Amino acid sequence: MKILFSLMLIFGLTFAGDATIEVIKKVDALPSIGLEDASINYGDTFKLQFFKALVADLNVISLFNVDRFHRTNHYNATDVVVDNKDMNYVLRYKMYEDDSGSLNIDMKIIEKDRDVFSKSYKVSRKNIYMFISHAIAYDINEFMGEPSVSWMKRKVIFSRIVEPKKSEIVISDYSLAYQHVILKGGFNVFPKWANKAQNAFYYTSLDGAQPTLKHVDIKTLKVSSVISSDGMMVCSDVSRDGKTLLLTMAKKGQPDIYTYNVASKKYKRETTYGGIDVNAQFMDKNRIVFISSRLGYPNVFSKRLDTKEIEQMVYYGRSNSACSSNGEYIVYKARETSNAFEHNTFNLHLISLKTDFIRRLTVSGVNEFPRFSGDGDAILFIKSYENQSSIGIIRLNYNKNYLFPLKYGKVQSMDW
Amino acid sequence: MKSIVLSSVVVALLVFSGCSSKEVAVDTEKTEATTSSAVQEVKAVETETVAAEESIVNSDTNSLSHMSMSDIESELSTVYFDFDKFSISSKAQSKITKAAELGKTGASQYNVKLEGNCDEWGSDEYNFALGLKRANAVKKALVAEGIEASRISMVSYGESNPVCEDKTQACYSKNRRVDFKLLP
Repeated sequence: MKILFSLMLIFGLTFAGDATIEVIKKVDALPSIGLEDASINYGDTFKLQFFKALVADLNVISLFNVDRFHRTNHYNATDVVVDNKDMNYVLRYKMYEDDSGSLNIDMKIIEKDRDVFSKSYKVSRKNIYMFISHAIAYDINEFMGEPSVSWMKRKVIFSRIVEPKKSEIVISDYSLAYQHVILKGGFNVFPKWANKAQNAFYYTSLDGAQPTLKHVDIKTLKVSSVISSDGMMVCSDVSRDGKTLLLTMAKKGQPDIYTYNVASKKYKRETTYGGIDVNAQFMDKNRIVFISSRLGYPNVFSKRLDTKEIEQMVYYGRSNSACSSNGEYIVYKARETSNAFEHNTFNLHLISLKTDFIRRLTVSGVNEFPRFSGDGDAILFIKSYENQSSIGIIRLNYNKNYLFPLKYGKVQSMDW
Repeated sequence: MKSIVLSSVVVALLVFSGCSSKEVAVDTEKTEATTSSAVQEVKAVETETVAAEESIVNSDTNSLSHMSMSDIESELSTVYFDFDKFSISSKAQSKITKAAELGKTGASQYNVKLEGNCDEWGSDEYNFALGLKRANAVKKALVAEGIEASRISMVSYGESNPVCEDKTQACYSKNRRVDFKLLP
C-alpha cells in the first residue's frame, strides 16, 4: 500500500505544473458568483451589454461558476437579492455618468454579507466599457490570489480580408468587443506588434511593386518602409526588446528565414534550405523555432542562431504548418486530415520540450495562428468554422477554450 | 493481504471513476461581438495606393502592338496546381510555353508579375510560401523558355485572393493558381 502511495506521490510530483497534462476541474467544484447591477443613468440595452461582457470575462478567468441572470439591487443594500443567497460570492456594481459624460463604475465583492473587495473605475466614453469589464475581471483574479491574467489587458492586432486583395488592419481588445480599424484601403497583411508597449506595429503591404514591410507609429500615425523583398515578406516575430525581427523573405524566389537588426537595418540569412522555411519564433535570444518542409511536409524545427545546429521538434503529424513557442512549450497547428476533396480539420497541439506528452487543444474546424501570451498562461488563436471566423482563447491551466466571433470578414493573421 | 487487495481495488475504482468524468471542454463560451465603429481614439491611416500606371500607347511597336496590355494579358492563361503541390504539370507547361512565346513577341515590351495563390486551407505563412513556390516554379519554366529573369517579378497572396469562394473541390482547384500580370 505504501509503495502504491509513494508511486502516486512520485507521479504527482513529476508532472506537477506540466501544461501538457490536462487539468480537469469539474464545473461544480468552482465557487459560485452572482452579479447584481445597481446602475443608474444608463438604458437597459447598455446595462445588458455590460453585464454580458462582465459574465464573459469572469468565465474566462475560470475561477467561478458564473450565474448568468441579470439581477438588480441597490448598491448599498445590506442584503444580497434572494436568488443570490446561496452564492459563494456576489459581485455588485454601479454604473453612473458624471458631469463630463465619463462612464464611472464602482464595484464590490460580497462574501457572506461582508464586503471583501471594492474598487472604482472610469473611462471617458461609454463605448469602451469592455476595458473596465476586463479590468474588473483582472482585479478579481488578483484578489483571489491566482496567477496574473495581464494578457487580458493587452490589445490584439489583426488583419481582416474584406474582399479579394482588400484588407483592413484592426486593433481590438482580446474579446473583439472593441474594434478600431487603424489601417484601411489596400492589401495589407501579417500585422505584428513592434514592441511590448504596443504603441507601434509592423505589417506587410502587398500593393507596391514588391512586398514591403512597413512600420506604423500609432501615436503619430507615421508610416515608414522598413525592407522589401520580391515574392514574400513577413515579419514573423519581434524579440522581447524589440531590437531584432525574424523575417521570412524570398530574395531569390526562395522563402527563407532572416534576422533583421532594427538599429543597423542589416539582415542575415538564417536558413538556406531549398524548400520552404517560414514562421520563425524566438524561443530565447539565441534560439528560434520555425516551420520547414525539409522532410517533404511542413513540420516544426528549431535552430540556434549562433550555430548551424537544426533540430526536429515534433514527431507527430504529417503536416504541421504553424507554431508559437514560450519557454519549454511549443504550440503547433496540425492537419488532421489530408483530403483534397472535402473539408479538412486543423487542430492545435501543445508539446513540452521536457516530456514526451502531446496535448490536443482543439477538436473541430480550422484552428490556426496560435500565439502564446507573454506569460505563457493562455494561447490566442484563429478558428474558422462553417464560414465564421473567431478569435479563441485557450486557458492552458484550466483546460478551457473561449470563442469570440468576428462579425464580418475573415481573419488573415493576428498578433497579441 | 485481503485488505491490501481490497484497498487496491478501491483506489483503482476511485482513479478510474475520476477518468470517466474526463471531458474535453472546448468552446464552452460564445459571446457576442459588438461593433464599435464609433470608436475614434486614433484616426485610421490611409495607406498610400501605389497605382500601376496605365499603359501608354506606343506608336512605333511591332505588328502585335495594336493589342493593349489588357488584351495581351487575357491571352496569358492562368496556370493551375494540384493540392499542396508546386510542380508544373504537362498541361501547365504548354500554357507557359505559349506565354513565353507571347513574352518574346507581342508582350516583349512589358515585364510580368507572377501572382501565386492558394486554396483556403490555411492562412499562415506556409500557405503564402506555397503560393510563392508556385510562382517561382512558373518563373523557372519561363526562364527555361528563354524569358529574361530580370523581366519577371513575383508575389504571393496566399489564400487572400480567391477567384471562387464556394466550398467545393472545383472551386478550391481554381484558387490553386499562378496569374500573369503585365507591368509596363
